[in-house]
Amino acid sequence: MVNFLIKRLVLLIPVFLVVSAIIFMIIHLVPGDPIDNIVQIGSTPQQKAALTAKYGLDKPLIVQYAIWLGKLMTGDLGEAIILRQPVSSLIAQNLPHSLILGSLALVFSTVVGIATGALAAICRDSWVDRWVMAVILLGSTVPSFWLGLLMILVFAVHLGWFPVSGARSWSALVLPVLTIGLGGVALVARVTRVAMMDISRRDFVMMLHAKGVPPWRINLQHILRHALLPVVTILSLRIGWILGGAVTIEYVFARPGLGSLLITSLNQRDYPVVQGCLLMLAIAVMLGTLLGDVVQALIDPRVRERTG
Amino acid sequence: MRYTAKAMLLSGSALLSAGLLSLAPGSTAMAQEAIFVMPVRDVGAPSYNPILGTRLNAATTLIFDRMVIQDADQSFHGQLATSWETSADGLSWTFKLRPNVKFHDGEPFNAATIVWWLPKFLGTENAFMTDAIDKVDVIDNLTVKFTMKNPDPNMLFNMASSFMGIPSPKSFDQLGDKFGVTGAVGTGPFKLESFVVGQQTVLVRNDAYNSASDLSVNQGPAKLKKITLREIAEDSTAFLELKTGGVDMLLSVPTDFLPRLSTEKGTKVVTLRGTEVYYVVINTSVEPFTDIKVREATGFAINQKEILASLFGGVGEEAHTFLISGLAEAKVDPKLLIAYDPARSRKALDEAGWVMGSDGVRAKAGTRLQVKLWTQSGTEFKRITEVVQAQLKAVGIGTDITAFDAATITAQYRKKTEHQLAVRVYSWANADILDWFFAGKRAGHPNHSMWVNATSEALNEKAMKGSRTWDERVANFRAYHENLLSQFVFAPIYQPVQNFAYSQARITMPATVRGTRLQSQTIVDIEKK
Repeated sequence: MVNFLIKRLVLLIPVFLVVSAIIFMIIHLVPGDPIDNIVQIGSTPQQKAALTAKYGLDKPLIVQYAIWLGKLMTGDLGEAIILRQPVSSLIAQNLPHSLILGSLALVFSTVVGIATGALAAICRDSWVDRWVMAVILLGSTVPSFWLGLLMILVFAVHLGWFPVSGARSWSALVLPVLTIGLGGVALVARVTRVAMMDISRRDFVMMLHAKGVPPWRINLQHILRHALLPVVTILSLRIGWILGGAVTIEYVFARPGLGSLLITSLNQRDYPVVQGCLLMLAIAVMLGTLLGDVVQALIDPRVRERTG
Repeated sequence: MRYTAKAMLLSGSALLSAGLLSLAPGSTAMAQEAIFVMPVRDVGAPSYNPILGTRLNAATTLIFDRMVIQDADQSFHGQLATSWETSADGLSWTFKLRPNVKFHDGEPFNAATIVWWLPKFLGTENAFMTDAIDKVDVIDNLTVKFTMKNPDPNMLFNMASSFMGIPSPKSFDQLGDKFGVTGAVGTGPFKLESFVVGQQTVLVRNDAYNSASDLSVNQGPAKLKKITLREIAEDSTAFLELKTGGVDMLLSVPTDFLPRLSTEKGTKVVTLRGTEVYYVVINTSVEPFTDIKVREATGFAINQKEILASLFGGVGEEAHTFLISGLAEAKVDPKLLIAYDPARSRKALDEAGWVMGSDGVRAKAGTRLQVKLWTQSGTEFKRITEVVQAQLKAVGIGTDITAFDAATITAQYRKKTEHQLAVRVYSWANADILDWFFAGKRAGHPNHSMWVNATSEALNEKAMKGSRTWDERVANFRAYHENLLSQFVFAPIYQPVQNFAYSQARITMPATVRGTRLQSQTIVDIEKK
């Protein structure tokens, strides 16, 4: 298991380098310049040139990347050009909000997704199955931006149950969590349903039926348990998404978080902050994938043997 | 194994709950505060440092007082200065300062503060506002004299800028780069309690406040004890917050929200004269707009009246010059106003040799009059641009619309010859905006019109540096403005108003909103019911 983990971690190094280079190049190749957001009406072109030089933006791109990567290796994400704070402290301020929102959305989509998927599988080909799958299909196709506004209109404006926006109380978390979580429910439910239907056709399930084990016990203790393996894989891949998936939702609900920070910084082309946020999201995806591999290896010895 | 998993789940839940609880403020505090939503354009403003900052938000004037402030009629009123005078040659200004004023950190405000403050602008992006000041002398503890390098009749306008909020020297020097981010200390009616960029600013009342200008009814501390200014980037969300009682006031409301707000019971909308102008950039350096006739045709094809009525329900003003209508420099020779005249537009195109084609687009020597029309992302821009496209088509100018985000379009302008027409907006209440957008040295960006012309340059130079008095400055800028209008280097469209909305059930506003914007001079008079 230790060898497995070491191999996986070593593999992450080249992935990290490639991802960091792509992130750096993409943001610098997009038209726009943070200095345009600093210069005041009345400033001279010379003042702008001095500012460009001050932030090292006059250097060749490859040199800028080398400087950034060098600092990154020492844990320094740099200083925000527009926001004028260390990028690490901006991320530290916002990351907890995204983690709480994303974690709750993941928990919600896992619990509700597995429950509805199992229900649809148990009642397969019945009206329950068709109804559950239709709702799930709808949930997976509605854009989250639109769903968020719809949630606000129904639950905040008409029913008055929750605040419209912000992060001033725990109740302000409910609508964003539901909005993000519903998208995940659809995926988890579909995977659970398909996996359960597949497992239910296995020989050992026939044996259990022949032995007279009650159907509820076969479904919940045996089929669902085995069907969770692909669900765990899907969930591990969505760990990165719990941070990145909240970008538009944080905007709609005016919540703090990495998404809000990313959008604000992207609009102003605040390169160090955009790079820092994207890097965090990329690291979350990489660690999520690693965690998924580890969990799979823990659950299924065949995975360990194949890669160990 | 099972026990460990359960323990991990329990600790995870406990951590999560602790996190959630830490986000919830005390309910008592909420009952004492008014909650405002900042204008969308202020979202993401990074600091409250008036000297080094290049983007300040609406809370800045609540923390920092200025020497003078400007009223809606463009008159100036003392705040930290009680009176002022300038010499006949414009080469010196003397300001009397308000006595017994203290910063939030207890430090005194006096002549020594001004001597420390003004040199801080040297080398900063805001230096242009103090460039004309050669030196500052202390006459006595409450009197300072500015000796000028050259006359600057714009001195009072500059002194009234938000960037001229005066910080506490002690706190400014102590906090260094962190001033405005982790702390901000001025003499204003509110003290900064907390600030999270992109989220909110919490201000608490300065109980020792005694420097209100005569624009405020209340000459003592503000009536509100605490103000939370939230930053909400989505207008719809902000509107729904006001509707559901989540906030007490929106400091800015898009004009297209007015019909919906007017039907909301208990919500009052207040309208102030605007400081913005929408216009069409005409790139004078590329074909076919190197021909003044084509530029003239473009200008007179824009139906300002139709745009005002159909897109903005008649709220706002038609724009017929480059400057906001409240400025004296906007009162130009009526013959030079650019107002919808399709006959003149068609005639100009005919004279330029562009012949109407069967598809409704003109052509000349086998070249169709089909040009690029750029715009920025955002509903208002999109709607205006689509109407402009239709209006240009009506006279035979075909356009292809491309929408960019704000940062990208600026980068595109810098290429100088990529753009032909573009719909833009600016916000500024001074005629020196003409220098910013049309001076030859700034061709590309921000001189998107790429206007480089010797006569215009001379008129600009005279207006910017050759005016000794305010009246002279007005006359010089008016001449420069008229020159630009005569050359059709832009096409004016629309001048919006400023709207803000509040809950009548929770907020009592003063009878009159004073100043060019809703700022400290009015906010000190606001009461919570």
